Amino acid sequence: MKKIAHRDRLKIYGDLLAVLQAESKEEKIVLTRVQVHINVPFDRLKTYISELCDLGLIEDQTSCKLTDKGRQFLVEYEQVLDFMKRMGIAYR
Amino acid sequence: MDPYELQTFRIAYEVTSAVICFILVRFMVKPYQFTKESRYLGLPLGFGFLGATYALSALVYYQPYLFGNGTIYFQLILRSYAFVFLCVTYYFSRKSVENSRRKLWNVTLVLLLASLLTFFVITNIPVVDLPSYSLTSSFTRVFNLVCLVYLCAHTLRSHIEKPDPGTLWIPFGYIFLAVSQYALIIYALDASMSAWWSALAIRWMGLAIFLIISCKSFHCVKRGIS
Repeated sequence: MKKIAHRDRLKIYGDLLAVLQAESKEEKIVLTRVQVHINVPFDRLKTYISELCDLGLIEDQTSCKLTDKGRQFLVEYEQVLDFMKRMGIAYR
Repeated sequence: MDPYELQTFRIAYEVTSAVICFILVRFMVKPYQFTKESRYLGLPLGFGFLGATYALSALVYYQPYLFGNGTIYFQLILRSYAFVFLCVTYYFSRKSVENSRRKLWNVTLVLLLASLLTFFVITNIPVVDLPSYSLTSSFTRVFNLVCLVYLCAHTLRSHIEKPDPGTLWIPFGYIFLAVSQYALIIYALDASMSAWWSALAIRWMGLAIFLIISCKSFHCVKRGIS
């Protein structure tokens, strides 16, 4: 597993939602592929997905489709991240 | 340009700068609103204080006899604090999010605000003898220049670490603000009007860059991920 900087929960949620959104274009979301992209152990991935479901950001733990709230969160997350990157401010 | 026209122009110029800064505050507060990390609070505070100093300048130009000497001094100090808040935010943004770091940032924030309040009280007590305005102005502008050089270096380093055309503009924004401060130092030394006009024009260019980049991030980023 490649070494990455410590991420807080918000960043993991954002990254995970982005990967789930991208993967939803495929016929079926394969969690092992998501795990590779997001770079977390499988048991932790399942926990995060369950938390996203509790927060109402994804429909259910099987389909992992983003809800409107999840899509809205992702848009805001990307805008803030893009702004911070342009401003030269690190978010970790 | 006769003195009345010059005064009108200066008021309009300062008001426009203040409006740009207050619009920028709305964008700068978003990282804090989204992450709830207090270390990003320096961005809205920095641009907010900068806007407040421009608004204060406009008021002083509009009613020169209404405001005391202390207000003019406090405006100089407040502007330096604006740049200090930005520097501290950039400094802490590179640090990891450990609890000790969070506490250090919170203590720094409280100390900065407390010292600012102290300066406000000192400059507004009539019995306190203040140093000459031109001397204070020169010192604060040199200090502002140092802060801006740090901000330029920090943003340029971020750009060099991860080169991206989008991250190149903000260093230019800070460079323009630094050149503007430098031109004002020259104006304070030899009263060169070309330096003064250049400082005003370059400051607007710097603020315009921040505004364009902020609008680009929040209004032009594609909806949803690619």
